[in-house]
Amino acid sequence: MIYLDNAATTYPKPPDVQRAVSEAMIHYGANPGRGGHTMAMSTAERVYECREALASLFHLENPAGVVFTLNCTHALNMVIKGLLSDGGHAVITDCEHNSVVRPLAALATKGVSYTMVSVDPTRPYETAQRVRRAIRPTTRLILCTHASNVLGIRTPIRQIGQIAQKFHIPFAVDAAQSAGILPIDMEKDNIDFLCMPAHKGLYGPMGCGALLCRGTYMLSTLVEGGTGSASLSESQPTELPDRLESGTLNVPAICGLNGGLRWLHRQGGVGELAKRETNLLGTLYTQLANTKGIDLYTPYPDLTVCVPLLTCNVQNLPSEETAARLNDAGISVRAGLHCAPSAHRKIGTVTRGAVRICPSAFTTWNDLEKVWKILTEIARNP
Amino acid sequence: MNWTTVYVSSVTNAMRGKKVLEQQGYRVYMQRSSHAEENNGCGYSLLVYGTEQAVKAALSKSGIRMIRVEHGGGRR
Repeated sequence: MIYLDNAATTYPKPPDVQRAVSEAMIHYGANPGRGGHTMAMSTAERVYECREALASLFHLENPAGVVFTLNCTHALNMVIKGLLSDGGHAVITDCEHNSVVRPLAALATKGVSYTMVSVDPTRPYETAQRVRRAIRPTTRLILCTHASNVLGIRTPIRQIGQIAQKFHIPFAVDAAQSAGILPIDMEKDNIDFLCMPAHKGLYGPMGCGALLCRGTYMLSTLVEGGTGSASLSESQPTELPDRLESGTLNVPAICGLNGGLRWLHRQGGVGELAKRETNLLGTLYTQLANTKGIDLYTPYPDLTVCVPLLTCNVQNLPSEETAARLNDAGISVRAGLHCAPSAHRKIGTVTRGAVRICPSAFTTWNDLEKVWKILTEIARNP
Repeated sequence: MNWTTVYVSSVTNAMRGKKVLEQQGYRVYMQRSSHAEENNGCGYSLLVYGTEQAVKAALSKSGIRMIRVEHGGGRR
């Protein structure tokens, strides 16, 4: 099988991740932050190591600001509902995933509204100015995806972060497609809340994510419960991470995520793998651009403009049919709308969706050459 | 040199404090503590081989909130 659905979740996971999960099941089976016995303490140490590693990677000063979540969607919901539970306005982009649009829509009954601004990857300054122009006196959140999961295009987070800082508005970034792929500096980019999954560019297990909080704004809670601290109080603790981390953590996944971070570091750190994937994808892009009957929707792979993923359709076939034919040839890709309808509106593919091809560290040119051959065959005989 | 016990609210704060102090050469043990009055119940404490004043200063500098600091060591 050639697996190219890495924007949904990376596969395979590096041996370090598999080993770390297994070790956690064997050696770190106690509940961290609850008991005081040896295994509870050593498990808590492993969890804290992962907090430190994430804080270091994303330039967050205090590792206590690293909150473990179920996934990126959970982290985004915590930010959106934690800031807008009693109304207000948000500025988002037209590349957002449903994990941003749906929580905002659900809050409409509480008086929440939002403005969606268009991202132009070739004009970052103009994109940031569109965000600035969308700000209202009631704006309480600017939230943007760092890279579109459909188009791969980047949002100019540093420029937008400067605007957010100037207007004293909390700034959140959805790093679902960029964490582990593009460098992110929470301090320099002025990011107050950074949301990410463990299982994509960080190569960790599924069922785990993180919300990194700079401590500039306090979120109200989505979930309250046991934290292992201040147990006599009926109120949720105010300190992070306990405020936002009720209930038992997914320790095996957190250990696996830490394994992924160590592995990523050994590969040369963030950006190195993405460069290699971008080069591979560039060759495929050129081949497909010269193949009659294939429509490409993503820009030519270039890390300054987009993350390494390619979206296309073949002839007038529904994307699901093309994906099924690739699957018959042993190639796994994702088709459809990728839970981001506004990005499809942008490229006019709402009715048939698009085929997304996303490599990982384990993808070779042989894999992509096979994709090119099969797509060419489909284009010739739709 | 004396032992100092520092009470903090959570395991994360305790881990953070332990790292900070160890980086500065202190010998530190972490343990679970119930300090009901000050922390509304469960928390953690750090048993540090160092003077109260120096330990307090090191943790304050790193922004670690201490619930209580007392001279002397708990059990190990």
